[in-house]
Amino acid sequence: MGSNKELLIVHREMHPVSLDHTVNVMLTPQFYTMKQEELPVKYLYQAKKIAPSLFDGLLDEEGAYAYFVFREDDHWVFIAYEPEKIRDFLLTKGIAPEHLSKIFFAQQSRDMFKDPVVLGEKEVLMNIDGSVALVPTGILSEDHETAVFDERFTPRSGVSLSGGSTLINKKETILLATVFLIFAAVFFVEGRQYTKGLQMQEKKMQDLLSSYPSLQSKIQRDSVALKYRTIDTKERHKREIIKTLGTMIFKGVRLNTFEMNEKKFKVIFSCENSKIVKKVETLAKKAHFSVKSGKNSNIVVIEGEV
Amino acid sequence: MNLNRYRNELIVLVSFILMLSAFFYKNSQIDKQAQQLFEMKHSVKDFKEIIALKRIWGDKGLSKKIDKLKSIVPVSKVSWSKKGKKLTAHYSNLTPKELNKLVTRAMNLAVQIISFKITRSGDTFNVEFKCKW
Repeated sequence: MGSNKELLIVHREMHPVSLDHTVNVMLTPQFYTMKQEELPVKYLYQAKKIAPSLFDGLLDEEGAYAYFVFREDDHWVFIAYEPEKIRDFLLTKGIAPEHLSKIFFAQQSRDMFKDPVVLGEKEVLMNIDGSVALVPTGILSEDHETAVFDERFTPRSGVSLSGGSTLINKKETILLATVFLIFAAVFFVEGRQYTKGLQMQEKKMQDLLSSYPSLQSKIQRDSVALKYRTIDTKERHKREIIKTLGTMIFKGVRLNTFEMNEKKFKVIFSCENSKIVKKVETLAKKAHFSVKSGKNSNIVVIEGEV
Repeated sequence: MNLNRYRNELIVLVSFILMLSAFFYKNSQIDKQAQQLFEMKHSVKDFKEIIALKRIWGDKGLSKKIDKLKSIVPVSKVSWSKKGKKLTAHYSNLTPKELNKLVTRAMNLAVQIISFKITRSGDTFNVEFKCKW
């Protein structure tokens, strides 16, 4: 059968119960209207569609009915019930919505009611010609066997009494969940594309690195970079100094000596006259070199660090 | 508590959490890609610079190119000593034109200058050039 939860049979004269656990509930015909029909309908969803029309004129027009349909032998069984009224009744008997798992209809367990189930002093529930109905106890002979109602009566499918305190109805649930799931799928697909992009970038970088095996590790790259950057800076500076000193050799200036090592340089120029000396001095100072020249001497000594 | 009673809310909540997770997943991937792109650009720039510097200062054909400093002036004026990756060259009696040519050529070679000395002797120059590569 469908569930291992405790199954309570609910009828109008039942005594209130006190619950601290979830239960299933089986409703007697007092709470539903039933119709059995042989219809040329194959599928349950088709039968459900036509359920309301079958009860036209049979039900209270002001009632808010829900329908439960199942197949029994070669015919369909249609049950109309009022969830709100059932919920209210269950509450009066101490069965709060949070303790209610599923509701079933006595008709679903038709075969189990071959022997009557005693509901109280006055009534029994039993199968009469294929329909489960309430019968006065008095019509049964005293030695008539009765059945014990327990979980064995639980049918496979039941109904959840949703609504009441619920904030979202079924349609809204489907709509919201669909929208959220579509967005989730879109985000996920986009995320995957970015992941693939990342992998492609990594591959490109790896390809680039693999063409220079000696530079694959960052430590090696940093070490090589430091070595060559130092050489580059120093050697460019040396050449820049030589180029600057070259601009100081013009008409009237003669190079006597030039000396450069890895730390410093020194150059001695002899000039034709003091005017040229001044010009060379100005150029040397402009280049931030240190200049020495004796008074009344046309010799200019320029020094500096490399 | 009967969770069945809140089934609808739970379904919506779970799908919402799923959407939120997917959204954060996507955003984290975007951030990761941007960061990686930045790091990669930086690395590629460094990498290119290293390769360029290595090509200049670690040129394997430099040893042959340096030999041109020997043939730039008449052989009688040159004293040449090349050992491994070090060169010591002495030039004597260079004319100003030859000196200019030598200096220009030496400066255009990607060698590390150890010492460079020029001394005037009358109208000519004596040069000592030491370098390594």
